[in-house]
Amino acid sequence: MSMNERNAKILTTMLALPALLPPAACLSYILFKGIPVLDWAMLIGSSQAIAFGSISTLWPQITGSILLMLGACALAAPVALGGALFYALAANIRQRQTLLGMMHLLVGIPPIVYGLCGLIVLVHVLHWGISLLTGMVILAVIILPMLLMNSVNAFDRIPGGKTEAARALGLSNGQLIRRVWLPVAWPALMTGLLLGMARALSETAPILFTATVFSGVVWPDSLFSPVTSLQTHIFYLAQEGANAEAVDIAWASAVILVILVTALSFGASALRKIRMDG
Amino acid sequence: MRASALISLIVVMLMLWFLVQQSWPYWQHYGLGSFVSGDWYPYESLFGLAAAIIGSFWAALIALAIAIPTGLAAAVMSSEILSGPWRNLIRGSMELLAGIPSVVYGLLGLWLLLPFLQSSLHLLTGHNLLAAGLLLSVMILPTIMVMAQDALSEVSASQRDAAASLGMGWSARLWRILLPQAWPGIRSGILLALGRALGETMAVMLVVGSMDRIPEPFYNLLSPAQTLTSRIGREIGESAFGSMHFSALMACGLLLALVTIAISLLAHMHTDSARAT
Repeated sequence: MSMNERNAKILTTMLALPALLPPAACLSYILFKGIPVLDWAMLIGSSQAIAFGSISTLWPQITGSILLMLGACALAAPVALGGALFYALAANIRQRQTLLGMMHLLVGIPPIVYGLCGLIVLVHVLHWGISLLTGMVILAVIILPMLLMNSVNAFDRIPGGKTEAARALGLSNGQLIRRVWLPVAWPALMTGLLLGMARALSETAPILFTATVFSGVVWPDSLFSPVTSLQTHIFYLAQEGANAEAVDIAWASAVILVILVTALSFGASALRKIRMDG
Repeated sequence: MRASALISLIVVMLMLWFLVQQSWPYWQHYGLGSFVSGDWYPYESLFGLAAAIIGSFWAALIALAIAIPTGLAAAVMSSEILSGPWRNLIRGSMELLAGIPSVVYGLLGLWLLLPFLQSSLHLLTGHNLLAAGLLLSVMILPTIMVMAQDALSEVSASQRDAAASLGMGWSARLWRILLPQAWPGIRSGILLALGRALGETMAVMLVVGSMDRIPEPFYNLLSPAQTLTSRIGREIGESAFGSMHFSALMACGLLLALVTIAISLLAHMHTDSARAT
């Protein structure tokens, strides 16, 4: 190894250091601040005294976040699957280009813009108000492009021989999908779904003014009532600088949220390891 | 199945249509002059966009200035210097970083970064564009790093072998072969990261200070400021549907949507047409 080469490598490493330290630092700081505050009563307790900043249960926030997430996935997944099947089976090149291009556009639009559109259309024009359903629909639209592109990729990676063999045996489109494609592609499809769930759990800005309130909801009465969520709870409590207890609860909520999101991503990575040609 | 494809097309069109329709009263009343004026006082019906546009610009610029060199260096290190397990470790930690929700970054920024900035730079308040930029740089780092690493690893082995057999040194190979070959992918990563930085709301909103004022002088990054996203997030809740204030906020949203759409078009111009065939 020449002198020059070594210097270049050392320089690269020095430049890269700021990129290598933050992940560990961020994560350990969140855990360091949040873990001491957490206890079981806080997770599953049923205390309804959700006074500003007082130690109380985070259960309503957790259920709110999870309800929003599940609703968003239930709405987006079928559309994504349908779109990907259209891409794989029926679309010509022009349609494929349009569809992919559209998805890339949708991914690029900031979530808060979806929030604004949801505010206009769902909250005001359709009179759904600030509600669980509004949040579900907005989050569904936000995760749709990544779900759809992931499904497209999943079907793309199916070995061509399998499809040809199925066709040669005279399988119809429906049989081909059910008997050949889904059994092969399900790990990849599930990976996408888990990542979509993680994304839906993380988004805060678009539901801040369309789906959630600060407190007072334990279990939403209907799809048309507002909910509380972990994400927005962190946002509200973080700004209570004068109230150290409130900030502590924000850290505890952050720990729960990060654990949920990380668990989903780990699940996704585990599924990714299942080979598709097996 | 065709319906699903149509749905997504219709969604984009409808979104833009509603943003234009709701912001129309604002554009009609204030016109293009609103881009020049920095005065934003909703109670006096002054809605100038300049302060927030400049704020967004600076925050994104700081973020890119930090994230591009470090992200690229991390990608090069990961794909060209390190081997197997270390590479996976870095990749995994980037994915971890990408998975942390933006509001949690905001919490970190507010209670870790701001006190640090405040004491080390002797400021009255740590709320400023520098803090927003620093926070954003950590948030967009994974996008740049992961896309650059993918692009670098796709440079074919025969090209590497050819470069090595010509006697090119490590840095010559890096600058003459690897980076130019990987550039389309790196460029897309940078553009996507820029779009993300411009559109990021929660983290920026918590640390930027939400002060509607053009920085004075314009390169003063150490006083409280405002970005397009933080303005929307702060004020949308208190503006009445149909009022001029609401319309002005929708104008901010429309601006944001158009700029980010242009950026993603640039980022994907070449890749899409090659892919679908």
